[in-house]
Amino acid sequence: MAKIKKSNRPEAAIPTASMSDIAFLLILFFMVSTVFVAERGLKVRMPRAAEIQKIPRNHSATIYVDKNGTISIDDMVISIPDVNWVMQKKLADDFNVIACFRTDRNTNYGIMSDILNQLREANALRVSFEAKLKR
Amino acid sequence: MIRRKRKDMGGIPTSSMSDVAFLLLVFFLSTTKFDVKKGLGINLPPVSQNAKNKVKINPKNVTKVWIDAEGVITVKTFDSEELVPLNQLETKIRKIVSGNSDMVVSLKTDRKSKYQNMVQALDKLQAAGAEKISLSTN
Repeated sequence: MAKIKKSNRPEAAIPTASMSDIAFLLILFFMVSTVFVAERGLKVRMPRAAEIQKIPRNHSATIYVDKNGTISIDDMVISIPDVNWVMQKKLADDFNVIACFRTDRNTNYGIMSDILNQLREANALRVSFEAKLKR
Repeated sequence: MIRRKRKDMGGIPTSSMSDVAFLLLVFFLSTTKFDVKKGLGINLPPVSQNAKNKVKINPKNVTKVWIDAEGVITVKTFDSEELVPLNQLETKIRKIVSGNSDMVVSLKTDRKSKYQNMVQALDKLQAAGAEKISLSTN
């Protein structure tokens, strides 16, 4: 008599009980690591360029200049001669500070030149002109 | 006789917990916007207090790129001067810079010219491999 063997294979299953734990862990990670930009700045339309490089965030000090020539650093509207001491203060906090210009594309270059001269006097010599990637 | 009470165990349904968690996860993933800063970097020259710091440059090693109020670009070298459209600026400067590593490109922009003109020209200069760039205005 032929015997039919019953296979005693265990069913393959992926344990999904800890799935929600993993998901919550990821949520917590993103919630903690997300930094919202606190600076409101000025409304600018940045110019476009192709050869742009990343600017290290932790060393950057953003200078907003809108098309009317309003200058804002750390949400403080300042005049051109004040750029000197504001940047000196920034330089004292961080020696490697990079002045990042967020300037409207229609701003007159004269204002920018004046600010650049102020930066030179403040000895903040690392400058970056922020731009959007040209496609 | 003691009656046995049959109580239903109260419980929170946890089977959809992971769905909620993933929903939140997707929300945060899609709404998180990292503020990446990108731009054209340049180092400014320090202010020279005395005349000693001034470096004399051979006029043959200077190329002047002049942008006027309307955004018209003129490239002036030691022995030539010509109008160059923006899209040809890169090849023009590359030709000049590639033969001479000491070449200084001086980008002079009119005070009334728009910032965009200057950034576009600076972009082309950097793309052309010019390493010594000076910014100035009239």
